[in-house]
Amino acid sequence: MKQSKRSIQPISCEEALSRVFDFIDDHLRGKARIELEHHLETCRHCFDRVEFERLLKSRLRKLNVNVHSQKVRKRVETLLDQF
Amino acid sequence: MNILSRKEKEELRQVLMPLVDDLHRVALSFCHDENAAEELVAATVGKACESYRSLKDRSRIKPWLLRILSNMFISQQRTKARHPHVEYDEIENDKQNQFSLFEQISQPFLLWWGNPEREIMNKFLDEDIQKAIESLPAEFRIAVVLSDVEGMRYQEIANILQIPLGTVRSRLARGRSLLQKKLWHHAQDLGIILRKAHRHETIQTQHSTH
Ligand SMILES: [Zn+2]
Repeated sequence: MKQSKRSIQPISCEEALSRVFDFIDDHLRGKARIELEHHLETCRHCFDRVEFERLLKSRLRKLNVNVHSQKVRKRVETLLDQF
Repeated sequence: MNILSRKEKEELRQVLMPLVDDLHRVALSFCHDENAAEELVAATVGKACESYRSLKDRSRIKPWLLRILSNMFISQQRTKARHPHVEYDEIENDKQNQFSLFEQISQPFLLWWGNPEREIMNKFLDEDIQKAIESLPAEFRIAVVLSDVEGMRYQEIANILQIPLGTVRSRLARGRSLLQKKLWHHAQDLGIILRKAHRHETIQTQHSTH
């Protein structure tokens, strides 16, 4: 394990920040992800940035509310009948 | 020509009705107004009836309907001219995609005792965030809503909007950047964050007293 950790190329904060959204959107894979995770273990600033973006994203997700409107369903039914 | 046969209509009804709540929810996320959302769903269904025959793969009805809904929303917004068509390039890593609320509010020397970013975020109401979404031009709002409110993956969004993955990424980046800028201004208006010049003075003062 130690050996593999040592072989991880350090990345700059700028590079790390360019990967933040792919990371929080779960689109970062392989080496790119490992490098970023390693950077986050050692850089408080980038770690906090990731946490912040996650928090904001979760606030947007919470705006998603289930809807069930009889009025809209009726309107759609009526529309379908007209065609 | 557009009139569907009895069989087609029944088929469309069967696949469409279970998706009405989904369409309605996404429409509400786009416009945050009950009447406007209902109109958007109705327009989508009307269009779906007209072009149902052109849908080759009927198992892809949901992304197809969401694409119609998104396109309807874009054209409605343009007609309203509140957001006239904005010229924007889709180049990735554009400087304009890079506004970060975090970078504006993080105060490195205060990090030891507290988390100002988290505290500021807690002060935003859902309504504030919804308003910020509403301020986005249609294309970016759609990307942000599908990704962050609906929780869809890039590929799903690309399939719905029929745009390349890179375009999804850049629209989302631009949308998030604009959203954070809006929240930043809003936080200043509310006094959650001190205006920049003022805040700078405050920081200077705090620094000099230490
Ligand atoms: Zn860093």
